Amino acid sequence: MTATVQVTELTKRFNRTQALAGVTTNLTSGVTGLLGPNGAGKTTLLRILATVLAPDGGSVRTLGLDPTKSTERTQIRRSLGYLPQEPGFQRGFSAFEFVDYIAILKEFNRARERHDEVRRVLDAVDLSSVSGKRVRALSGGMRRRVALAAALLGDPALLVLDEPTAGLDPEQRLRFREMVSQAGEGRAVVLSTHQTEDVAALCQDVVVLHEGRVRFQGTPTELASVANGHVWFASERDPAATIAWRTSEGLHRHLGEPRHGAQLVEPTLEDGYLLLIGRRIEAVA
Amino acid sequence: MLACANCRAILVPVAPAVRLAAVWDRVQEDIDAPRPTHIERLLRALRMRDEDARLLAAAPSLQTSWLLSVVTVLTFATAAAHADARGVAWFLTIAPLVPVIGVSGAYGRGIDPTYELTLSTPYSRYRLLLLRVLAVLTVSVTITAMFALIVERGWATMAWLLPSLAMVGLVVVLSSIIELPWAAGLVTGLYLVGLAPFALRNHEVVDLSIPLIQVWCAAIAVACAAAIVASPQFRLASRRTP
Repeated sequence: MTATVQVTELTKRFNRTQALAGVTTNLTSGVTGLLGPNGAGKTTLLRILATVLAPDGGSVRTLGLDPTKSTERTQIRRSLGYLPQEPGFQRGFSAFEFVDYIAILKEFNRARERHDEVRRVLDAVDLSSVSGKRVRALSGGMRRRVALAAALLGDPALLVLDEPTAGLDPEQRLRFREMVSQAGEGRAVVLSTHQTEDVAALCQDVVVLHEGRVRFQGTPTELASVANGHVWFASERDPAATIAWRTSEGLHRHLGEPRHGAQLVEPTLEDGYLLLIGRRIEAVA
Repeated sequence: MLACANCRAILVPVAPAVRLAAVWDRVQEDIDAPRPTHIERLLRALRMRDEDARLLAAAPSLQTSWLLSVVTVLTFATAAAHADARGVAWFLTIAPLVPVIGVSGAYGRGIDPTYELTLSTPYSRYRLLLLRVLAVLTVSVTITAMFALIVERGWATMAWLLPSLAMVGLVVVLSSIIELPWAAGLVTGLYLVGLAPFALRNHEVVDLSIPLIQVWCAAIAVACAAAIVASPQFRLASRRTP
């Protein structure tokens, strides 16, 4: 499959912090999840993909175009939908006016066509009934849906979503997942998250970033299988485990190198992720 | 016709369906279209395009709160001008900064809540910046000019205008290198630092109405305007989008 986004040896530094230290990855059609702890470089990578930040080194090719060239960057922006981590809203704008404002910036110059498109995307995120309400009067979940509607304008070939489910309650998260999975049909969606459940539920591909480097890329099943033979239950906490916690059944779930005869269990995606990150943390310590 | 259902039924097949649908679409559009804000309505009344009016309505320094703060500052400056013999000179020192500070709040990181989102769209950043700068400049200059006429009738109280245009021009030129708010801060700082030695030495503010100062400011304003128009960003920004 042809990659929608090709990232090669990407580097970015903010003062003393190395945010990206040589990221190489290919992103294809479908939903790709970026997983990683705080400061792993997820937002920096997404901002570079969204053409709002220039890298220090390495290269990116998005939809076959080079974002370092002005005309090609504009072409990429015409095929891009971006939901920032903290989308800002103009004071006093209604949901419709806000999306309409972004639609103007996305070159919808004819008022009627633009208004039709605004109605379409607001309908897609199930906000038609509150389109006339001021954005500041909407709940946090609704505001994120307004921002998602703005990202969906023009049916972009690439959707870049930075922590779209952050701060949402479980019901809102489910609705959001549904919308993102629909949006991912026939286009490339890249989303960053801390939530392994979101990745397991939504993503065909997952990239784990840690300390500015790609530590893993594969399917969610492959990430879970990283922990094959490394997850076990015991009634007492095993000090040999890399990570251990007490479950609701009163047993201790352990990740790491099991002792002989340990009661091994099927790993989840979270186990794979934690083991991957945990090993790194352990190695650094 | 309204009272006769049969008559209406006879006419239905005769009515051109496509035209009827187009008329109905227009009616629906007019009903559904959001009610524009006060500032948008004002801009549209001034024959501005709908899209440009909406882009300007989003400018932080065209919001009511900012306009009120400008009026407050100028009210105090005007009151000071009436209270003191050197008040007019003080007014002329403060007045050029009003448009510069307004321009600093027109667009930029940390100023515009949708700045990051704006950068990811194909719309020219420079065009948006110039559009907002022009709008803020027009509003600020108009308000300041009204207060200047209250201070004292006559052209002498308009001596702030050319220094103000020169500084705004410098801010826009610098904005191609640094963020607009930083550019405005730098130019404001240079203006104050430039005036301070004279004020400290002579215990009075510089008289901006001196012809030499006015000529220099006019020259700087014209040079900045020429630099803006000649810049490649301006040429890109003036191209119409598809």
